[in-house]
Amino acid sequence: MIDRVVALGHLGLTVVSSFGRSGRFLAGVLLGVPRPATGFPLLIKQLYGVGVLSLAIVIVSGLFIGMVLGLQGYTILSDYGSEAAIGQMIALTLVRELGPVVTALLFAGRAGSALTAEIGLMKATEQLSSMEMMGVDPLRRVIAPRLWAGFIAMPVLAIIFSAVGIWGGMLVGVDWLGVFEGSFWGNMQSSVDFAEDVMNGVIKSVVFGFVCSWIAVYQGYDCVPTSAGISAATTKTVVYSSLAVLGLDFVLTAIMFGDF
Amino acid sequence: MGSPAYISLKDVVFSRSGRRIFDGVSLDVPRGKITAIMGPSGTGKTTLLRLIGGQLRPDSGSVVLDGHEVPRLKRADLYAMREKIGMLFQSGALFTDLSVFENVAFPLRVHSSLPEDMIHDIVLMKLEAVGLRGARHLMPSELSGGMTRRVALARSIALDPELIMYDEPFAGQDPIAMGVLVKLIRDLNSSMGLTSVLVSHDVPESLSICHFACIIADGKVIGQGTPEELRAHPSEQVQQFLKGQPDGPVPFHYPAAEASRDYGLSGGAS
Amino acid sequence: MTQRTTEIIVGLFMIAGLAALLFLALQVSGLSPKPAEDTYRVYANFNDTGGLTPRGRVSMAGVTVGTIESISLDKKTFQARVTMAIHSDIDNIPADSSAVIRTSGLLGEQYIDISVGGDMESLAEGDTFYSTQSAMNLERLIGNFASGR
Repeated sequence: MIDRVVALGHLGLTVVSSFGRSGRFLAGVLLGVPRPATGFPLLIKQLYGVGVLSLAIVIVSGLFIGMVLGLQGYTILSDYGSEAAIGQMIALTLVRELGPVVTALLFAGRAGSALTAEIGLMKATEQLSSMEMMGVDPLRRVIAPRLWAGFIAMPVLAIIFSAVGIWGGMLVGVDWLGVFEGSFWGNMQSSVDFAEDVMNGVIKSVVFGFVCSWIAVYQGYDCVPTSAGISAATTKTVVYSSLAVLGLDFVLTAIMFGDF
Repeated sequence: MGSPAYISLKDVVFSRSGRRIFDGVSLDVPRGKITAIMGPSGTGKTTLLRLIGGQLRPDSGSVVLDGHEVPRLKRADLYAMREKIGMLFQSGALFTDLSVFENVAFPLRVHSSLPEDMIHDIVLMKLEAVGLRGARHLMPSELSGGMTRRVALARSIALDPELIMYDEPFAGQDPIAMGVLVKLIRDLNSSMGLTSVLVSHDVPESLSICHFACIIADGKVIGQGTPEELRAHPSEQVQQFLKGQPDGPVPFHYPAAEASRDYGLSGGAS
Repeated sequence: MTQRTTEIIVGLFMIAGLAALLFLALQVSGLSPKPAEDTYRVYANFNDTGGLTPRGRVSMAGVTVGTIESISLDKKTFQARVTMAIHSDIDNIPADSSAVIRTSGLLGEQYIDISVGGDMESLAEGDTFYSTQSAMNLERLIGNFASGR
C-alpha cells in the first residue's frame, strides 16, 4: 500500500518535472531569437517540410469531410424540408470545429511525428551535441525554426482545410443532390460571421499549431537517444498532441461560443 | 611535463542517475601534445570530454581549460570558448541534410562573416588535408564510415581550433581507415601545433601516437605517464588492460550470486 | 532542391492560405469587400420580439435593406424597442409603413419585414415606425385555435 502511494508520488513528481523541463525548453527557444539573416532561410526550409508537405493530406481529408458533411446534412435536414440550411451547417461545423481540430490531428500525425523523429535522430547521432560543441545553440538553430514553422503553417493549413471542405460540401449538396445554389450560399453567408466564426476558428488553429509543434519538438529533444526511445517519443507526440488538441478545443469553444 | 597544462582536472566527481561515474579524477593535458585517455568501455570516457567541453557540469572539483574555469563560465563565454575547440564524435555526427562541403562550411558560416569565395577556399583546403577534396558534393549517407570520420575531422578543424578532442576515433574502422586516421591525427598535431585529447580503448593505436596516456577505470585514474612508463607500470590492473587479458583484477564474471544457488542446487533442500 | 525553389513553393503555399482565407471571408461569411455602407437609424416598438436577435436582417419585399442593431426594453411602456440600421440609398420608405416580425420558413430565423405604406413623406434618421406587428407565436396561435377563440 505504502509502495503504491510512493509510486504515485514519484509519478506526480516525474510529470511535474517534465512540465518544468518543457517550459524551460520553450523559454530557451523563444528567447533565443535567431538573427534574421540566418534564421529566415531556415524557417522557409521548415515551412516547406512542415506546411507544404502536409498540404496533400489536408486537402484530401478536407474534401472528403466536406462531402460527408454534405451527404449527412442533406439526409437529416431533408426530413425537416430545410435542405437549404445545409450550407450553413457545413460552413459552421468546418470553420468553427472540424477545420482547426481535424487539421491539428492530421498535423500531429503527419508533421509532428516527423519533427520528433528527425530531432530525436539528430540527438541520437550526436548532431545536436556536435552543434553545441561547435558553439552553435541547437535550440536556436534546430528547434526554433521548426517551432515557428509549425506555428505559422497550422492556421494556413486549417484555413485551406475549411475552404476545401466547404467546396466539397457544395459539390455534394449542390451539384449532386440538387440543393439550390443561391440558397446554399445565401444561408451560409447570413449565418457565418467573419469575426465571430472564421477568426475564432483561426485563433483556435493558431493555439493548436503552437501546442502541437511545442510537443513535437520537445519530445524529440527530450527523447532517449535510442531507436526504442525515438519510437516511444514519436508515439507520445501523436498521443499527447491529439489529447491536448481535443481538450483545448473544448476549453476554447466554451470561451468563444459559450454564452456565459 | 615541461609545458604548462592546457587542461587540468582536479578531484572531479560526477554522477549520473545515482551512479558515480568519476570519483575524484585529476589529470593534466599538456599544451601542444597528444594525450590519450584510455579505459574499459563504460568508464565514462566520453563523459570526460563532455565535462571538458562544458556540456556537463561536475558535482564537485574543477575543470580548467586554458585558464578558464569551465563549469563557472557564463553561457555566452562558454559558446565563445567552444569556438576554439574541435570535437570529433564517435559517429562523426555530420549533419545529414547538408552535403560534405556544407558540413565543413557550417562552422565558418556561423562564426565568421567571411565572403563566399573565401569560405570555398578554406573548405577545400580542409578537405584536402583529409584527402577528400573530390568528395565535396557527396551527401553524408553516401560516405563510408572512415570517410565520414575524415569529413567530421575536416569540419572540426575548419575554425583552426587550439584543442581537438577525439571520441573513439578508431572504433569500428578497418585497418586502412585506422591507419589513415592515425596519420591524420599525428600530422594535425605536428603541423598545426594542436593540443589533442584522444579517448579510446584501442591500446596499440593510441599508444603509438600519443605523448602521454592516462588510464581510467572504476571512476579513478589508475595510471598515467608516457607510453613507456605505462608499459612498465607496476599495477596489475594497468597491465591487464594494456595486454587485454580476459581475467585479472577486472574479473571475467559480472558479479553474481553463487552459481549453485542460481542453478537451484543449494544444499538440495529446495 | 535549391533554396530558391523552396522559397517559391513556400510562397505559393502562403498565397494559397491567403486565397482560402479570402474565400472564407467573401463567399462563406459574405463579408463585403466594400467598407460598411452608410446607414440611418429608425426605431420600432413591439409587444413581443420573439426570437429576434441583433444582426438579424431587415427586408422589404424579401430584399435585405438593413440590419437590426440592438433590442432593448422600454421601461415605461414595457415594450421592446428595436433599433434598425437601414442603408442610406433606401431613403424613401413611406412614413406610414409598418414593421412586421416574420419567420423565414416554418422554423427558420426571425427577421423584420417592412410592409410598404402609401404616405408621401419618408422615414428619416431617428424616426419610429407608427405601426408594428409582433412576432407570430406558434404556441399561442395553436392555443387560441384549440380553445376555439
